Amino acid sequence: MSENPSESETGEPAVDASGLPDHVTDADIRESAARERREKLRMFLTNWQGVTGLILVTLFFASAIFAPWLAPYDPNALDVPARLSGPTWDHLAGTDQLGRDTLSRILYGGRVALKIAAIGVSVALVVGLILGMIAGFGPRWLDNLLLLAFDTVRSFPTIVLALAMVALTGPSLGMVLAIVIITSIPQYARVARTATLTLKNTDFILAERSLGASMARILLHHVMPNVVGPLLILAAMDVPVVVTVEAGLSFLGLGVLPPTASWGTILNEGYLVIRDAPWMVIAGGIPLILTTLGFTFLGEALRDIFDPRMGKGR
Amino acid sequence: MPKDATHAPDTLLDVRNLSVDFRTPRGRVKALRDISFPIRKNRIIGIVGESGSGKSTVLWALLGLLAKNAEVTSGEVRFGDRDLLHASEAQLRATRGEEISVVFQDPMTSQIPVLTYGRQMRDILYRRPNVTTVEKRRMAVEMLGKVGIPDPDKRIDQYPHHFSGGMRQRAGIAMALLTGPQLLLADEPTTALDVTMEAQIIHLLQDLQKELDATVVVVSHNLGLIAELCDDVVVMYAGEVIEAGEVHEIFHNAQHPYTRALLECDPARIDDVSRKLPVIPGDIPDLTKPLSGCIYASRCQRAMPICRQQTPPTITRGEMSLARCHLLDGPHHDPDWPPPLDVMTVGKGEAGARKPARVKRDDPLLEVSDLNVQFETVGPLRARLKGITQRHVDAVLDVSLSVAPGETVGLVGESGSGKTTLGRTVLNLVPARSGSVKFEGREIRNMPEGRFKPLRRDMAMMFQDPVGSLSPRKSVRALITEPFQIHGISGVNLDDEAERLADMVRLPKPFLSRYPHELSGGQARRVGVARALALNPKLIIADEPTAGLDVSVQGEILNLMTDLQAEHGLGYLVITHNLPVVRHIADRLAIMYLGRIVEEGRTAEVFNRPVHPYTQALVEGVPQPDPDRRRVHVSISGEVPSLLNRPKGCDFATRCPYAQDRCRAEKPPHVTMADGRRHACHFPLGQ
Repeated sequence: MSENPSESETGEPAVDASGLPDHVTDADIRESAARERREKLRMFLTNWQGVTGLILVTLFFASAIFAPWLAPYDPNALDVPARLSGPTWDHLAGTDQLGRDTLSRILYGGRVALKIAAIGVSVALVVGLILGMIAGFGPRWLDNLLLLAFDTVRSFPTIVLALAMVALTGPSLGMVLAIVIITSIPQYARVARTATLTLKNTDFILAERSLGASMARILLHHVMPNVVGPLLILAAMDVPVVVTVEAGLSFLGLGVLPPTASWGTILNEGYLVIRDAPWMVIAGGIPLILTTLGFTFLGEALRDIFDPRMGKGR
Repeated sequence: MPKDATHAPDTLLDVRNLSVDFRTPRGRVKALRDISFPIRKNRIIGIVGESGSGKSTVLWALLGLLAKNAEVTSGEVRFGDRDLLHASEAQLRATRGEEISVVFQDPMTSQIPVLTYGRQMRDILYRRPNVTTVEKRRMAVEMLGKVGIPDPDKRIDQYPHHFSGGMRQRAGIAMALLTGPQLLLADEPTTALDVTMEAQIIHLLQDLQKELDATVVVVSHNLGLIAELCDDVVVMYAGEVIEAGEVHEIFHNAQHPYTRALLECDPARIDDVSRKLPVIPGDIPDLTKPLSGCIYASRCQRAMPICRQQTPPTITRGEMSLARCHLLDGPHHDPDWPPPLDVMTVGKGEAGARKPARVKRDDPLLEVSDLNVQFETVGPLRARLKGITQRHVDAVLDVSLSVAPGETVGLVGESGSGKTTLGRTVLNLVPARSGSVKFEGREIRNMPEGRFKPLRRDMAMMFQDPVGSLSPRKSVRALITEPFQIHGISGVNLDDEAERLADMVRLPKPFLSRYPHELSGGQARRVGVARALALNPKLIIADEPTAGLDVSVQGEILNLMTDLQAEHGLGYLVITHNLPVVRHIADRLAIMYLGRIVEEGRTAEVFNRPVHPYTQALVEGVPQPDPDRRRVHVSISGEVPSLLNRPKGCDFATRCPYAQDRCRAEKPPHVTMADGRRHACHFPLGQ
């Protein structure tokens, strides 16, 4: 807290010639923005859900990025004598029916999940944001047209859509990504559109129009900063959904192709031998659960802190 | 009733040493500090103060309805033999509604939209199981009749959206009075209403108080309302009661410098039209910081060194009169304080150049003639299906108006009169149906945006909501310099321009890195002015330039606007409902009613000799901040009719006290009188 010296100590009049109080010093103003940020950070750090979420998410990212250095074995290296073993010092999470090290496969599988989550969610977010803002701000007929498109896409059940697409093109990682992006664009677009609609008739947008600002400028400079916050939170909560969709498709054999490791394929292979070696399913399921929990906690904590509507009191 | 021996027998509720803190991220805000005042039985007590003075906090503290982050740190509220601050939740619930009830500021949001009034009022009486439903309904109908709702037995089955704003506030009062409470709390009861409606509600409250022997507490920032309505007044500043007393004492013999300054700043009180309004410099102190001495010292014109160090003594005069100031007692007592009423104690901003004589040019800057703006109410398909021929309503009807360079034209009307629509149409933000809008002789009506854009440099608008019209995620610097970027003006140093403009509107430079929500209303308004002025426009359309500003701040903004006009020769079109303010700044006035201009002329003439009965009603409708000038009757009744059923004849005929048959049948044309005034009335006054 920087104390302002002029008021209480010197006893000088706290009003300058222009009629504004001089107790608002330069430092005070910089401080007010910084303090607000510090305050939000403190709120976040005292929220156990948020901190747990952040730790889990960091673990997820780190394990996926550093998988080649962390993994004790190559994910496809066979150790046939030790196949279907439980947790041992050689294989901390056991091995599968071909004797591949499950821990290494989980770490490498995280890379697939990360790739899908990062690319899928960010592309869907950007496209959804742009389409949503155009729908909200543009003419009525464009809004109706885009809404019709969004609702059409949303009306397809994700898995059935995926099955149909895979039947046409064959399974691949690119296919999974495409499905994830297409099916999640409408929900971002819907949220962005609603937020834009409420902003459309506010005074400050009208003020910008009265200054002659173009539509692109209004959308980019004045609508987007006010819309993007809730969308980012939505995206954080959407990551686990995307990860499970990928795992689910891979489990069904529609996602990544063997021998590439993915959490879904590990579960799928473990499922076949669940009576003899339950370890594989358990080891493959734990990262999925932790990632889901981590992103959900993080997203909820972020929403609690940054969404003013969730605030308590006046 | 009161069994406590220390009570004066006529005290209904006694607030003693009440202190309330709010826990906020910025620290503890000491919102109320050691508040004490009695509420005397059968009287109307007004709590007056500017925003941030804690007046509403007092009200909610009485009811135990403070926000969750509030904490009552000390004090008690004696109501009879109970202490409401320490009563249990069950006891409080029994008191609320039954013994103490509330009239809210906004009847729009404080009534349940999905229940009829009959149902809502029956629910209010839920604590009386031995009263039958039929009896409850009878009580409700009777109460609705008492507050002046016509056909109460039919209208009770209607929903809030069937009622107009004024009717809704009447129903709100009826609901509050239904249980026969001993104490009625009214939080800014007329702020959401128009001038003509305000006068009616004031009189209603007065009549009901007399009739029902109720005690009423009114919280307001409107000095005129307080003077007109109240018997006792409590003046609050920054969470302290600085003065209290009977209404005549406060308004005629104010003891505290703040009360004095507040009264002097009220534009309705100032009789000489001088173009410069008095202001109280400075801001309310930051209540999160430790406070010492007199809370008002930083803004007081008579501040002495002692004021900053020592808490001023409390001087009591009568039963409830008190004032807290070093000038009144103790070693720094000044026998000449307070000075007589005609001596001003606050400055009028900078020694202002009087407005220079205008260069009268023949070509007006802006010329609007026979402008019509229509809004669509039903789509073409539905109209065809339902056989509706009139698909549009006229928001602006045959309006002619001109603004010369260096001239200020005031456009006055109640809500729904189309004045804001007219302003936006001039700026091409709303399409016009017919007529013409000329800017410097060029026809600009419905010009495509591409061609109109260069003209936006010459015409700027100030919007009603000072904070809401600034993009919330942009710094003040970015906001002020945005016009340069929009119009692609290169070759200027944006940082220098930002500082130049900040200087021009007297905004301290450190504020340039702030964000809109960190600004007070007055500061945000300055930013709005700076944005409007960035590209040296010739015409500024100011929509309610003083809305949302405190009395002490609005003077600063108006003085600034006047100075800038003198400097740059700007033309102003000031859109407002606030007659006292516009009287001080406008050269000419145009009065609008239901989208038509009913009278237009020079300000002084319009004020002194109104020609149209509506103008007369407006001029008389302003509550005067003087308890000796209370009005005995309300000149017009009723409300502005909906645009959907515009009267066939004169628009004002339904409310006009002088209306005759011809008025109801025939729309009066615009007539120009010999002295250049124009009006639209068949039977102009004083003729």
